[in-house]
Amino acid sequence: MQGSSRRTGTMTDVHRRFLQLLMTHGVLEEWEVKRLQKHCYKVHDCNAPVEKLEDFIHNINSVLESLYIEIKKGVTEDDGRPIYALVNLATTAISKMASDFAENELDLFRKALELIIDSETGFASSTNILNVVDQLKGKKMRKKEAEQVLQKFVQNKWLIEKEGEFTLHTRAILEMEQHIRETYPDAVKICNICHGLLIQGQSCETCGIRMHLPCVAKYFQSNSEPRCPNCNDYWPHEIPEVFDPEKERGAGLSKPSRKSLRPRQH
Amino acid sequence: MPRGKKSKLRAREKRHHQAQSEDQGHRIAHTTTAGEEESPSSPSLTLEGSPPSSPAAGTPQQSQRGLASNSAATTSCESSGEGAKSQRKERPSSSQAPPSSESSREDLLSNKVSMLVKALLYKYEMKEPITKEEMLKVINKRYKAHFPEILQRASERLELTFGLDLKEVDPSRHCYILVSKLDLHNEESRSDGGMVLPKNGLLMPLLGMIFLNGNRATEEEMWEFLNMMGVYAERRHFIFGEPRKLITVDLVQQKFLEYRQVPHSDPPRYEFLWGPKAYAETSKMKVLEFWAKINNILPTSFQTQYKEALRDEEERARVRAAARAHSRAMTSSSCQQR
Repeated sequence: MQGSSRRTGTMTDVHRRFLQLLMTHGVLEEWEVKRLQKHCYKVHDCNAPVEKLEDFIHNINSVLESLYIEIKKGVTEDDGRPIYALVNLATTAISKMASDFAENELDLFRKALELIIDSETGFASSTNILNVVDQLKGKKMRKKEAEQVLQKFVQNKWLIEKEGEFTLHTRAILEMEQHIRETYPDAVKICNICHGLLIQGQSCETCGIRMHLPCVAKYFQSNSEPRCPNCNDYWPHEIPEVFDPEKERGAGLSKPSRKSLRPRQH
Repeated sequence: MPRGKKSKLRAREKRHHQAQSEDQGHRIAHTTTAGEEESPSSPSLTLEGSPPSSPAAGTPQQSQRGLASNSAATTSCESSGEGAKSQRKERPSSSQAPPSSESSREDLLSNKVSMLVKALLYKYEMKEPITKEEMLKVINKRYKAHFPEILQRASERLELTFGLDLKEVDPSRHCYILVSKLDLHNEESRSDGGMVLPKNGLLMPLLGMIFLNGNRATEEEMWEFLNMMGVYAERRHFIFGEPRKLITVDLVQQKFLEYRQVPHSDPPRYEFLWGPKAYAETSKMKVLEFWAKINNILPTSFQTQYKEALRDEEERARVRAAARAHSRAMTSSSCQQR
């Protein structure tokens, strides 16, 4: 077996249970992942010290490498929450979705994706998406059907819906970033700070550079006079707060409330 | 800065051309390793069936040529039964093909194994079964002859790395699911709290059978159906546990099935119908589509039931539209009152 020659190829039931539960949940926030890791240790191996999460995941990934999949860490674009998901490491178009959706449904996703990438806010309205339904490949789809397919995308965490508009779920960004950058090289927006793919963010009104909301938060942290890193003009938008996991959990909430800033500023 | 309309249009046109060529090819990233090497010796044997006719993309054809020159090696492998366990170097090769084709074959098969593993993992995530047909589609039906080896290696990989067992849940229809070897606690494994209708168990086939039987099935008919799937009343099943308890108690308590006495039957006989939760969580059309998929036919093959499912869909759409209109009326009237 290919995996056995890897230097850290010791998969135990702790790792297997972790993988199974991560997959079942689809995508998990960092605090949930840490809790899951502890749970897996408790079930199988009470005495062993809980390995540092970063190393734990790195070890698992070294075994998964030969399958071209990995546990990837990302950050939600609206409020900077760290999240984890099992993703494919490949540049093929929407390969994970291909087994679950029909040709016309995949094409609907593609069209929605293009509208999202082209939009200024990173959101595509339901109306605009439904208007292209008659251009889809494959079996003819009615608008009513398309509405349901869009809901299926939301349920399966490929899209997020907010007030009748759709954007990419963080999981989709994690999974498809490479593919998106290769397929739409002219249309994609990139964050000036982290150089990652940018769907939602803020932009400088003078020179047009863009930044993710969490990147803005970190860059301008405790800066009373925020200025554009590129053209030095005054940064005109509200600076969000840096995501602090301790603050969220300390408030005594079992599930941290989402305080998302809609980046309608640009 | 917003892009001009012209540049957006040009970009979109470029995308369409790109998307078209993408659809037709295999995963370019991985098949190029196999495909780029042309087999130096002309193949004396070809795979079963006619050679590929004008392939959509160049790569698949080249990979097949790579395989063709090694088909002798392939057959000797499978007949010796070593399959996945043998290392590449130990494999007896009766063909004259040089080692480069051998490694391209191995690369290609590894690629297929990883594709199949990924597809199975996704089905596990979605809690849905997979049919042999679907698996063949994933690896491309062209490689049907290699399917047993690919499947074997994929199962081993799933067991070793993920602790998941590939089980044939319905031998009569070659339907498979992945089952955890680790006995997961239910609360942890379901992120939705067990509210959604499980599609990888016995329930979907049962609902299908009940629907196709005229929306009810007697206990005798039910067991006849289950026996064909290898599920017996008095025998503990390796996936479903105690079948009798499952269908007459558990699924009934969860309101997916209804189990009641046949009216006016003496001595009392019992029948199964859909439960209210089944009607809420799924539909006749969805169950028919599931049934058709695992039996590898079109839903329209069942003419009567298809028409019934269509009528059901229309009725559901009417109910949804009426509910929307009603809620709109309520909100507008409450606004007026202010």
